Amino acid sequence: MSTTRKRVYGYLAEFSSASALYKAAEKVRDAGFRKWDCHTPYPVHGLDGAMGMKRSILPWFVFFGGMLGTATGFGLAYVTQVEIYPTVVQAKPVNIFTVPAFFPIMFELTILFSGFTTLFGLLALMKLPRLNHPLFASRQFHRATDDAFFIAVEARDPKFSPDGTRKFLEDIGGKSIELVEEED
Amino acid sequence: MAHHFVTSADIPVDGERLVNSKVESAKRLAGGTAALTGLVSAYFLFGPSEKITAQFAYSWLFAFFFFFTLAVGGCFWTLLHNVSNSGWGTSVRRVMENLGSVFPWMAIFAIPFACPQVQKYLFEWMNIHREAGGGYFDGFMAGFYGSDSMKAALEAKHEGLLVNKLWYMNLFAWYVRFAFYFIGLGLVIRTLRKFSIAQDTDPNPTTKNLFKARFHSTYTLIIFAITITFAGIDLLQGMKYEWFSTMWGVYLFAGAALNSMAVIIITCALLQKGGYLKTVTGPEHFHIMGKLLLAFTIFWAYIAFSQFFLIWYANIAEETSWYLIRNTEGWNTGSIALVFGHFVIPFVILLQAWLKRNPKLLSIMAGYTLAMHILDHYIITIPERSISLYRMANFPTADWMKDLAVFKDVTTSVPGAFWFDIFAFIAIGSGFLFFYLRALTQTAVYPHRDPRILESANVSN
Repeated sequence: MSTTRKRVYGYLAEFSSASALYKAAEKVRDAGFRKWDCHTPYPVHGLDGAMGMKRSILPWFVFFGGMLGTATGFGLAYVTQVEIYPTVVQAKPVNIFTVPAFFPIMFELTILFSGFTTLFGLLALMKLPRLNHPLFASRQFHRATDDAFFIAVEARDPKFSPDGTRKFLEDIGGKSIELVEEED
Repeated sequence: MAHHFVTSADIPVDGERLVNSKVESAKRLAGGTAALTGLVSAYFLFGPSEKITAQFAYSWLFAFFFFFTLAVGGCFWTLLHNVSNSGWGTSVRRVMENLGSVFPWMAIFAIPFACPQVQKYLFEWMNIHREAGGGYFDGFMAGFYGSDSMKAALEAKHEGLLVNKLWYMNLFAWYVRFAFYFIGLGLVIRTLRKFSIAQDTDPNPTTKNLFKARFHSTYTLIIFAITITFAGIDLLQGMKYEWFSTMWGVYLFAGAALNSMAVIIITCALLQKGGYLKTVTGPEHFHIMGKLLLAFTIFWAYIAFSQFFLIWYANIAEETSWYLIRNTEGWNTGSIALVFGHFVIPFVILLQAWLKRNPKLLSIMAGYTLAMHILDHYIITIPERSISLYRMANFPTADWMKDLAVFKDVTTSVPGAFWFDIFAFIAIGSGFLFFYLRALTQTAVYPHRDPRILESANVSN
């Protein structure tokens, strides 16, 4: 059994050090590429700036998730404790102004909902979980978790061209440039 | 980091000095205002009119404690910076030290509270003690934990609560503590500032002064904690001796740390605007200070709510009386404004990272926080005024209280007393500003020979 058709994922280029990668990332950014990524064994400070990445939309998800938690906590406590089954303790009033008694619940649900939106929002934005990634087809790519620094430029990028992109990656100092193909 | 990497070549050998005609004239103006309003205040407090003294005593306490928290907070940030071995804030540490160095001078404004003529309107327990007629210095440790004759005298008057509290609430111990606050923490901050300044002129700067400051900041943090906690209990909680709250000290501390950071932020932004501090501070420093501002906004809300919640849950008459006053009539509006204005609004605004990196916008938020701190302290001190004066006027226990008949009909507030509050605020505020500007012009703007100055200048977060 053999596969006949393959789809080009893009180019993978290795860089000798974190600083070489950083400088190369700035050049890829300035060349106007959109669909590309860096792969490093450890977090490189300031790389997001060098890659020209925009601020994530995730904080907004979390903010509204948290607000939803606050509202849920308040609604839950208010409807049960005031509307449906008023609980009178020590002759304290039961009305909208007893809201301080609900604060712990409102707080807890704010945290819980924010936590959930952070986790699931992050997974959704990163398109995780997934079983495979085209870059795993590369023999050298496993070194991204060990001692190598990679830049991968995807073929989906409008600026991608088989010859031009290879030359471009060579010019900015890329080594062992490899055309990664995924099985269709 | 975006801007150029700072090396020792960028740091002037003799440091930056705050030499500015605007600052000098502001200092002179503040000093002049302080002297003038101080004299008028002295007349209000010690003059012939019982009616004015009675109202103004509360105004003075409100204004005093507001600025007291700012100065104490300056001591706190200095101590914390030293003891946590921090590198980020070395370039703004001198501002913290200078803010803290105002603290010993606050003793001048505290003098009225040591005078019986002012005390008698503020602290009712002192009146009961004085009228009971017991001695002060007989008993264990010369009566530091309450004299035996005072105990007998209070028992004879059936003041059971004050007998129980005599080990803490007695005049001898009160004066000892009162003196300790200013001498103790005053010495601490003076010494720490001296270590820091000595480094500036050291021809062969080493880590010696830095390590000395670090070592002496450890145990002195206890002196700081004692000062803010017990000064708050003696001066504010003492206005209402029946009341107690276990969160009181930490509540005042939260406000002090938050608002002294606000003052530090505004000072740094103004210094930068005037062309100082530019080589060693940048958006990163404002970002960190903004984070601390946000953190203490949350901490204040946490403590303020915890205090309210504990008292609300327990529902004990001695405790709830505090909130009963502050949640009725006009004071309730102020209390609700505090919830939204002191927490919700600044919390949401200060969440933005970009805003904290902008000195101007962050300063506006810091100024707003300070305005809320004024409201906070107004609601702490001023509601007690009409209640105490009403009680004295309607149920006099001594002859001098008969002169207060004018307060027989006051309700939630004393009409017209608001102008006294503003006057006291200007008087102490201008004095505070004078000593703060004086401290800022005395030394270099930042510790240019500190071993960590380059680490701080190139900080990234």
